[in-house]
Amino acid sequence: MVLLALVTLPFWAGDEYKLHLAALIGAYWVLIGGLNLVIGYTGQLSVGHVGLLAIGAYAFAILAGTHGVHPAVAIAISGGIGGLCGLLLGLPSLRLPGFYFAMATLAFALIVSELILAQTALTGGGVGLSVPGFPEPFDSPAGTYYLILALGALVTWLTWNVARRMWGRGLIAVRDSVVTAQAVGVPVFRAKLTVFVFSGITAGVAGALFGSLQSYITPDTFIFELGLFFFVCIIIGGRGGIIGPLLGTAVLTALPELAAPLAKLGTFFYGLLLLIVVLLVPEGIGRLFEIVLERVRGRKVDSMPVSPDLARLSAAVRADRAT
Amino acid sequence: MSSLQAREVTKTFGGLTALSKVSLDLHPGEVHGLIGPNGSGKTTLLNLLSGYYKPDAGQIVLDDEDLSAKPVQRRASIGVSRTFQKPRLLPTLTVLDNAIVGGWPHAKCGFVATAFSLPCTGHEEREMRARATELLHGVGLGHVLQRRANLLEHAEQRFLEIARALMLRARFLMLDEPAGGLTGVEIGHLSDIITVLRDCGIGVLLVEHHTDFVFRICDRVTTLDLGRVIKHGLPDEVRTDAEVRRVYLGA
Repeated sequence: MVLLALVTLPFWAGDEYKLHLAALIGAYWVLIGGLNLVIGYTGQLSVGHVGLLAIGAYAFAILAGTHGVHPAVAIAISGGIGGLCGLLLGLPSLRLPGFYFAMATLAFALIVSELILAQTALTGGGVGLSVPGFPEPFDSPAGTYYLILALGALVTWLTWNVARRMWGRGLIAVRDSVVTAQAVGVPVFRAKLTVFVFSGITAGVAGALFGSLQSYITPDTFIFELGLFFFVCIIIGGRGGIIGPLLGTAVLTALPELAAPLAKLGTFFYGLLLLIVVLLVPEGIGRLFEIVLERVRGRKVDSMPVSPDLARLSAAVRADRAT
Repeated sequence: MSSLQAREVTKTFGGLTALSKVSLDLHPGEVHGLIGPNGSGKTTLLNLLSGYYKPDAGQIVLDDEDLSAKPVQRRASIGVSRTFQKPRLLPTLTVLDNAIVGGWPHAKCGFVATAFSLPCTGHEEREMRARATELLHGVGLGHVLQRRANLLEHAEQRFLEIARALMLRARFLMLDEPAGGLTGVEIGHLSDIITVLRDCGIGVLLVEHHTDFVFRICDRVTTLDLGRVIKHGLPDEVRTDAEVRRVYLGA
């Protein structure tokens, strides 16, 4: 039903502004969906993905705008550059313990911002760059929305596949107990780096979409608060789920825009919401849904004494050893 | 058959010598007890064998491969597995998922294949689930497959760790005080499980304080004191040894 609502949105949204807002949520989600594997699953607290977003947006603007590369190719290249920058950032920083890793990503975001400002010939410096839109049939607001919806769905599908299989379990092991991860053979650094590069690619693609939605970008478009915003969406949504951060992204993007009084509060609103969630539901709003579901299903937590089935154990172990 | 060996390993922390030229070999299909007073170096030896520490001198060897400098993950892929004194589970995952993660070394699908859900991933997932389900029923957790691990009772956590370790297709299994906190009945179950694993050809190293449990179940026992082996042999030989009685068992 939600899917149906999303697909038919352009027909009932009413005005173009709401459609633009929905597209913006989608563009953010392309980044946050990838980042969710890094923060929510692997527990690596990156606050610097706004830097990767900026790189993707400028790459797209320069390629598609200045050099006239076809936008589809430009989006792909933006993703590639984002992934490459993720690799270069992740290689030295992912070995650092939590707090220092967060600081390294923060430094990265600041450096990117300064570099963009300095490279006037390429980026227009403080004046900025105009960003082209997408070609037919994606040139209308509805077309752009569908393009972003499709890419957002793709990212959701990819991360969902990763999360529910062996990789997802391995990433959660890295988050919750590195000792356990090592004991079962998870290559901790390589696993972190893999998802970080993946998040770099989605951030680069998101940058292209975001830049195009903004139609004009300057270094001030990519303020550090935006990086913090991505982080907060995931924490409020809940670590270790996909629906939660998706809801977090939608709510946190839409609420201040749709309710004028909230917009005045700005960052204060995010801070307040973060405080409430961390204090009341530290596992995030995604976990609230799970708890409700468990209640509805009425799953009993009764205890039964453990009694091994030795014949079955023997058969299972022998079968394992025979192969 | 090859054995997992510690050859004259020495480990120091700062100025303190935790282990001094200790040798131990763990054969397939035997239960090998490792006992000694607190601080005698039992857990240090286990951490050296499982790769969390690197020896300052001496070697850890399996199948003629020197594992001394190899990471923990290398052990997992050749079937050397362990449990922890304090169970280390993933609290937000179900019992089934906690066991499946032990199968990581045998999962061949890479990140990209997984992300795009290539056919191999579904096949692999079903196989892992089936194996984990059998092992969990085997250790007595068949009734809580879908329960979150943070809701488990102590004995359940211990047995889940064993199931996870077995998912590696363990050839050697090292148990760090597995009877700690268990009731008498549960220790009986643990004993049954260990016996089955031995009969299946797994070499089990049992680090334990419950000495009557150790002497009852083990084929051989090594006693450490102050980082040295003071006695090694059959359970009856060790139990009656004068020095072991003096430093550990209490005469």
